[in-house]
Amino acid sequence: MTRPLIVAIKEVRTYLQDKGDLAFSLLLPIAIFALMYGAFGRDFLFHGTAHVVNEDKGGTYSALLLERLDGLEMLDVEMLSSEEADSRLERADVLMVLYIPRDFSDKLTAGEPAQVLFKQRGHGGQQGQIVAGIIRGVAEEMNQKFQVHNQVKNHLAGTNIPEDRIEVTTQKFLDREREHPIVGVREETVGIRPDPVSQFLPGIVTMFVLFAITLSARAIVEERKKGTLERLLTTRLSVGQLFAGKFLACISRGFVQTLILLILAYIVFQLFTPLSFVQALVIAVVFAAAAGAIGLVIASIARSEGGATWIAVFFTMTMVMPGGTFFPIPEDSVIYVISKASINTYANDALNTIIVEGGSLADLGLEMGVLAGVAIAGLVLSRILFKVMPGGR
Amino acid sequence: MAEEFLVAQDLYKSFNEHKAVNGVSFTIYKGEIFGLLGPNGAGKTTTIRMLTTVLEPDRGHVTVGGHSIRDNADAVRSLIGVCPQELALYEDLSAIDNMVFFGRMVGLDGREARAQAMAHLELMGLVERAMGKVGKFSGGMKRRINLAIALMGHPELLFLDEPTVGIDPQSRNNIYETIEGLRDRGMTILYTTHYMEEADRLCDRIAIIDGGQIIAMDTPYQLKSRIGPLEQVTLEDVFLKLTGRRLRD
Repeated sequence: MTRPLIVAIKEVRTYLQDKGDLAFSLLLPIAIFALMYGAFGRDFLFHGTAHVVNEDKGGTYSALLLERLDGLEMLDVEMLSSEEADSRLERADVLMVLYIPRDFSDKLTAGEPAQVLFKQRGHGGQQGQIVAGIIRGVAEEMNQKFQVHNQVKNHLAGTNIPEDRIEVTTQKFLDREREHPIVGVREETVGIRPDPVSQFLPGIVTMFVLFAITLSARAIVEERKKGTLERLLTTRLSVGQLFAGKFLACISRGFVQTLILLILAYIVFQLFTPLSFVQALVIAVVFAAAAGAIGLVIASIARSEGGATWIAVFFTMTMVMPGGTFFPIPEDSVIYVISKASINTYANDALNTIIVEGGSLADLGLEMGVLAGVAIAGLVLSRILFKVMPGGR
Repeated sequence: MAEEFLVAQDLYKSFNEHKAVNGVSFTIYKGEIFGLLGPNGAGKTTTIRMLTTVLEPDRGHVTVGGHSIRDNADAVRSLIGVCPQELALYEDLSAIDNMVFFGRMVGLDGREARAQAMAHLELMGLVERAMGKVGKFSGGMKRRINLAIALMGHPELLFLDEPTVGIDPQSRNNIYETIEGLRDRGMTILYTTHYMEEADRLCDRIAIIDGGQIIAMDTPYQLKSRIGPLEQVTLEDVFLKLTGRRLRD
């Protein structure tokens, strides 16, 4: 049983030393992830800019408001002069601007109500409305705190309690209230994140693994071309062991590629739990086995490198197109029926179940069964075909 | 009487309508270098491919070390080493990695494969290039590695199919000396070449094959003496007389 392993290790070493194959297999996924991150990475949480005109220069409360806004992760604060803000609103360069009036701090210090102003173009744009909502929330919080402070101070007037002590105690109660509010809001996530990366990741994984068809289809032809196939056939390595070695190498390559893709997805987009990560990896490895076995069937009948590559590309494309890699397949369409003949369909469905729907391997009996069946049948068929083809053994 | 090591009886092999090997029989005795000579397309390579278990004969019978290639191919493979005409090497791997890999394929464990690889590299004068990538080697160095791989596992019968094609005199001389050393140690060798002086120097007996049939088989001395005085006749004269001067494909 060690000879197939030795063949597989030799194959993987050769693969790791072939800069072209390596770049294609490893660097391309990284490049694709960089593109995905650029496209979708910052869209998971809202992030906007509050454009602010502060006419209350040096005011305590305007400074406090700006400090609170600046402290929010989802918000950048861009200060504008009044003229600049008007001009940019006029050009529709910005759609909403927050104006803090000159007497904002003075009024609040005097215990009078003060107002900020939202100047907006039209309805202020979607982002402007969200930014306005966030600012209203901050203003409301400041307002409540301010009112509580004033009311407590007024009630305790004439009791000789120092004002700074009233301030500290009130703040303590307000903090406790914030931590344990009377009306709280709880968030609950259903399923896994329905973001674009989750939607595309299964297709990207299956597409890369599917290239295993081409790599394993060329495996025997390359040996034949180098003359090493004939040399191997004169050693104690049996044809079955040779095919098993090539098959293992194919699974190993698929494993390495998938591992990189999934680790990137894990780190960059936090798509997985440890369990779903392992489950996705298992699916990808079984899929790589199925793809590798199809590649070996091609390898056993192809007589030239060009022939092997073209047959493999044809198979890959016919698997990818109806397999739901690039677009979802409607269930009532003809393509849906055709898609059942593509191993890509089963791999995509399985990965979607894990990544998008938050399912587990226990839900994937059909998909895993089909993929494992194709792997075993392909391996057996390739061995038979190699025997019956002219010059085979 | 010398011990028979390889016995080929009445071998036939056709590809479609073409009879590549048409009733070939010969015996190779233990410890001899047996030359199989013939023009291009004569049937040498097909014969070797059958003897090395790569191709199955249509008819006929071969035993190597008493084992039939049909019934006990694995036992036959454990006795033979093959140096093919093509450079059957993994160019992306180092010399030592190539040798260890093929050593493992003939059944050596890792340590023994490495030890034998180093010994054979030393024999070929390549020990300093053990870690070098084969793809970067000269033609002569690749030929020597090609031969060194065939020696992995210390086979009892070595097939050398044109091992000196396209190399410089220094590498050729190294290969000659290696082959003579192997004969001195009792190894049995089947040798094919298009260089007649090479066959004359190395082979104990020679079979000339043409049109898929053996047309002469004897010692170089006897073959030459058939057509004239030894001091005037070369093996090439014998070869051309027997196979004709017509150009082959």
